[in-house]
Amino acid sequence: MKFYPYKRLNRPITLRVTSASLKLPDGTRDHLDTSAYSIPQRTVALGVAQHEDWISARIGLSATLPPGATDPDAPWSDLRVVAVLTDGDTNVRTTVDLRQDAPASKEWSGEIEVLRDDHVGRASLAVHAVATIDDVPGRSITETDGDWTVDVAAEEPVGGLRLDVKQASFSKSAREWLRPYADAPWAVDASGRLPLVMINTDVEGFSDLLGGESGGIENKIHELLVSQMATDVWTAVFHSAVGDLEVEPDGSPVFPTDWRGEVLREMLPDIVPGLRVEEALRQVHRRRTGDSGWVELQSRVHYAAVRRAGAGKALANVLRALQQMNREDSE
Amino acid sequence: MIEKPHHVPERLGLLSATAADPYLTEDLLKGVQGHGGVDLAKVVEPLPEDDARWSVEPLRDLVDDAKYQFKDNRTDADSWLAPRLHATLRLTRREAADKRIWNHLALAVAPDYVAWRHAPAPTQGGSEPRINPARFKGAPDRQCFSRLWWAAEMFRNGQDYAPVVAACANQDLIHNALRMDLVDHRPTAQALVRVLERGIAGTGREINGLMTAINIAGATLVYDALAPDEPRDPEALRQWIAEAESAPPVPRHDLPTGPDEEPVPEKSVATLTEYFAELFETAPVRGRVPQA
Amino acid sequence: MEVGEEFGPWLSRQLKLAGKTQAELADELGLTRAAVSAWITKRSVPRPTVMGEIAKALGTDLGTVHTRTTDTQAGLPITWYHRPGYQDGGRDGGNAAAFAFDADVQVLARETCQNSLDERLVGNGRPVRVRYTIHELTGEKLDAFRAAVLWDDLQPHYSAVSESAADQKVGRVVDAGVRDMFEKGRLVLLRIDDYNASGLTGDDYDDGKFAAVVRRQLESLKSGRGAGGSYGLGKATLWATSALGMVLINSTLSVPHEGRTERRVIGRLELPWRAVDGTPYAGPAWLGRPDPETPGAEVVRSWWADEETVERLHLTRDSEEPGTSFLIVGAHDVASLEQGKSDSVDDEDENGSDDDGTRDIRAMHRRLVEALGRDFWAAMTGGGSRLPLLETSVRTLRNGEVVIEEEKVDPTDTQPSRTRALRAFYEGTTVDRLTEAGQVALRTVPLRLPLSGGRRGTLGTHPGVLLVTAAEDDDGVPNQVHSLRGNRMTIKKSGVSGLPLGVNPFQAVLLVGQAAGETVPFAEEAEEFLRAAEPPEHDRWGQTEELTLRWSHSAHHRITRLTTEVNTAVRDLVVRPKSAGSQESAKLRKKLTVPRKSAAPKRVSGPALPELDGLDAEIGVGGEWQITAEVKLPRVDELPAMTPVVLLDVRSGSRPRLDWAELVAVEGCEVEDGVLRFTPRARRAVFRGSTDASGHPVRTELTRLVLELRAGTGE
Repeated sequence: MKFYPYKRLNRPITLRVTSASLKLPDGTRDHLDTSAYSIPQRTVALGVAQHEDWISARIGLSATLPPGATDPDAPWSDLRVVAVLTDGDTNVRTTVDLRQDAPASKEWSGEIEVLRDDHVGRASLAVHAVATIDDVPGRSITETDGDWTVDVAAEEPVGGLRLDVKQASFSKSAREWLRPYADAPWAVDASGRLPLVMINTDVEGFSDLLGGESGGIENKIHELLVSQMATDVWTAVFHSAVGDLEVEPDGSPVFPTDWRGEVLREMLPDIVPGLRVEEALRQVHRRRTGDSGWVELQSRVHYAAVRRAGAGKALANVLRALQQMNREDSE
Repeated sequence: MIEKPHHVPERLGLLSATAADPYLTEDLLKGVQGHGGVDLAKVVEPLPEDDARWSVEPLRDLVDDAKYQFKDNRTDADSWLAPRLHATLRLTRREAADKRIWNHLALAVAPDYVAWRHAPAPTQGGSEPRINPARFKGAPDRQCFSRLWWAAEMFRNGQDYAPVVAACANQDLIHNALRMDLVDHRPTAQALVRVLERGIAGTGREINGLMTAINIAGATLVYDALAPDEPRDPEALRQWIAEAESAPPVPRHDLPTGPDEEPVPEKSVATLTEYFAELFETAPVRGRVPQA
Repeated sequence: MEVGEEFGPWLSRQLKLAGKTQAELADELGLTRAAVSAWITKRSVPRPTVMGEIAKALGTDLGTVHTRTTDTQAGLPITWYHRPGYQDGGRDGGNAAAFAFDADVQVLARETCQNSLDERLVGNGRPVRVRYTIHELTGEKLDAFRAAVLWDDLQPHYSAVSESAADQKVGRVVDAGVRDMFEKGRLVLLRIDDYNASGLTGDDYDDGKFAAVVRRQLESLKSGRGAGGSYGLGKATLWATSALGMVLINSTLSVPHEGRTERRVIGRLELPWRAVDGTPYAGPAWLGRPDPETPGAEVVRSWWADEETVERLHLTRDSEEPGTSFLIVGAHDVASLEQGKSDSVDDEDENGSDDDGTRDIRAMHRRLVEALGRDFWAAMTGGGSRLPLLETSVRTLRNGEVVIEEEKVDPTDTQPSRTRALRAFYEGTTVDRLTEAGQVALRTVPLRLPLSGGRRGTLGTHPGVLLVTAAEDDDGVPNQVHSLRGNRMTIKKSGVSGLPLGVNPFQAVLLVGQAAGETVPFAEEAEEFLRAAEPPEHDRWGQTEELTLRWSHSAHHRITRLTTEVNTAVRDLVVRPKSAGSQESAKLRKKLTVPRKSAAPKRVSGPALPELDGLDAEIGVGGEWQITAEVKLPRVDELPAMTPVVLLDVRSGSRPRLDWAELVAVEGCEVEDGVLRFTPRARRAVFRGSTDASGHPVRTELTRLVLELRAGTGE
């Protein structure tokens, strides 16, 4: 539980993206369709196949303050509203002031510039209402409760972290490190900016299985295989994520700020149920680095992976389809 | 003793940590024996041919000079190398965020420098001294070269590298600052350097205390509102990168010149310097009475 | 001074009303029958001196004869005429439609406004104005009104219905209506006025709008081709909204009848079969003037009332502009009950507090405004050179005093995005692609009209107009297509299928037929086709009998295809196209996504632990944080020990932990070496503590406190 030493607004700011356009090398501007961003998913996808080489993006913003922010008898003064774009991968922090649409209005709007050279993947966009209160200037009196994500590479505005999936022939790949795995259907590389799942196209028909749509029992079996694969991937990424944690002076592990943090927050509630994630991470870290308990935890890790992969449902679907088939045969 | 590899590549490439793993041998980490470089070259993904920035020679020269010049005080090499590495490589932050380029630099181009700068140290278990593998392929603020590049990037004031020299002179500052989001705000980074230069907080302990104070106050304060910065101009950096083709080697005695970006507004730096000094001086932990 | 009708026809009617012949009048005046005949046939007018004599003979004053704006009071007085029971003793009298559905002012709004739109005078280009007045009467005002409608004559009929139809819904409704009026001493009048409309023109009995409304409850008479059901079956909702089955009408005609236009008045009552004093009555009754031309002069017809009478009947109109006023006597709104109790909760009106909600005038007001905005936003929207077709307002009175000021219904309040879409279309400010919130995109969608008469082939392609814009919060359900034709009413509401996760909420409007523009190819044909595809409820387009008869069995597939085209066009505008690369390994990608976290993280159930349930804190004089915290304890046999840990929040990275200077148990626990041990079976625990201020890394006013409970000794 948190406690602030000053009065704040107890409701959050609502932030909406209202437009997105790209500045191209020839100086022209490409106004993206509004489908480049998703309000429900709070995501802007700036990846457009035709324009790999854009220079900057301008994102239109509209923020709605909660009631009370602009009351004349509010305990603060010098109210400002700033939008802040941060990127943990590139340490970029871009701040712009929003303009109040009309005096005393709770609507504020403005634009933020996103430079292509400054970002590699996902940046976070938040809005703070800042004011002077109790003679302390620069206090945040409320902010957005869920950040928007600005993804400079994604083509679809789908929130959430997507692991990278690529296909290659392991025996002939330019990625020499894949060659020792030539007889494996897939391999996971969790060392990069995002975990990468490599699909071995040497296994004939495998990539069709992963992409194609087919009906009937075949489809159900595909589902089962995919969920089996996903189980392995989730297990691997969890171990990578928990394997190299930073530790605070008091011994507590720190949540990583990159994909590993997201994976941990996603999976820990299934691995150590009933605890807040910080406490859960502490426990998992203790077991991994301590004398005992790590082996016992593996079944929980596996369970969390199975749940993510939807293996239970996939298996049930196959079994039902098989039963049906048997019935039809016997009739 | 780790020597310069027998085979040094001509051009920088991308080396994924997974691909690099077999070459991060126990012998290398113990500082006994490096690799020849020939096999390692096979697992490297090449960078575009037509870009002068990926030429290894200027980088190799830099580390050789650093090793020679700072052989008696390796820690001081950071202040010298950081701006020069930055001005030689001329990366965008987007490019610098790709760890593979740093893996390649550390493992294929200059493993001898990594071993020299971060010599094998006793580990927790009390076993044989080892080089921390993170110095070769670790987090950006741990890896031997990327930490220097990011320190230079975060603490330069537009084209002026002087604050970088000051920041890197304090290992605690760059060690901790790069772990915190605070220095993402340029005026904050410049004000930190100025507090350091003025001797308000001088020791490593004091600097750490100051950064903790700023970090705690930053939970409720928006420093951007107290000290505004200029918007970034993508053109200046692009221009500087384009000039890499014709740029001479970076000067060894004078500081190089960075991209022609707007310096941090002096007023913002001054405001925050005062603010931080006051934060530091009123912090109860220093044993003073908090101001009413 | 008003201009009355011509003398001849007026005198002819007065004689008829008074039951006098031309010869009898001539005798009384001492003139020849030919002289009187000459007046009536408009060949001459009487000399001024004779006027006084005529007035005396008709039992009226000289003014009435001169102005001739009303009928004389001569002849039979205004009265209720009840239709007699059938000869064969059948008891199926009464209008089934009027009793079929529950009273619902929102349905009433839809039907009456639609009628007004259909009857709009189109020549002047101005909108038809419709005003709803809710007027509650009590005390003397109520008594006066009852007298004006001759309540005493009706009472026996209501009593008979209460008794004989007690086992039918209609009987219970009527009984409740009458009891409410007497027991609660109040009556709600709901009046609907339209202005700039045609009014109830035509003869009392022959074909015409008047007869369509007043006489023939089961048929409709449509004014224009685009009409959605003018005075059709929907008019029954007027009577359905009255708990007393009573509607009074005052119309100003756009085309004179009997040489007059203003204050054509009649009342109509809908009751089921009943017997009063042994005489059976079939159902309806009319309030009017006995028609001397009917057998026994029993049947009543409309009359040209004077100003005083319409005032007493609460039927006074604002101006002489043509249009009709319907007064629903004893209005109630049964449907409001389904909207939930909230309707009456925020009613600060003490008179409404003992209400069952169906006669809550504030709720009625709100529901009318809501329905008008929802159903007629398009008709009320103008733009560019186009005026809106319709203006509506609602006001609420009690005994003539304003309860809620007249409220003009503004479609931009209830339908902000759809109104914006239509306005942009009228103003020509639509765009091809949506690149900014607030824009309206226009796409043309083809409606391929079939040949009529079952012939194969296409008559032509009508380009429908599809408008898409971002949804606003007030629009209701997002991602809907509202389809409209010439009458600007939302006929069809449908969702769009196959939208991916995360699509931005939008609203779409499809304009087809004359709504797409009058000069658009095949607008008229499309209009006709769609009207035929519309069921009486006017709520969808699909297969209907008319469509099958005039076109073919498969004609409705043309509408299905239009829907497909619309959905495709909408998706094209609001869905980001997928590139080929993203489809590769699609199944696996889907399973390898860390979903976006909602603000409140889910908690998987596990062993229950004590958790913090309340925190109060302040900064003490020594700069220390002083906290009081409450812990909620799970219902378990063994409560684990917990360690309260106090930290300072930071911008990023690790949070410094503070030392406790003091930690005290208040209730439900004990403190032992900084660890909380809970009292067995306690459900709550409270503890206090203060931090060691000398360890704060920054002065306390600039810190944000974080309190956590960690399991065990917290290490």
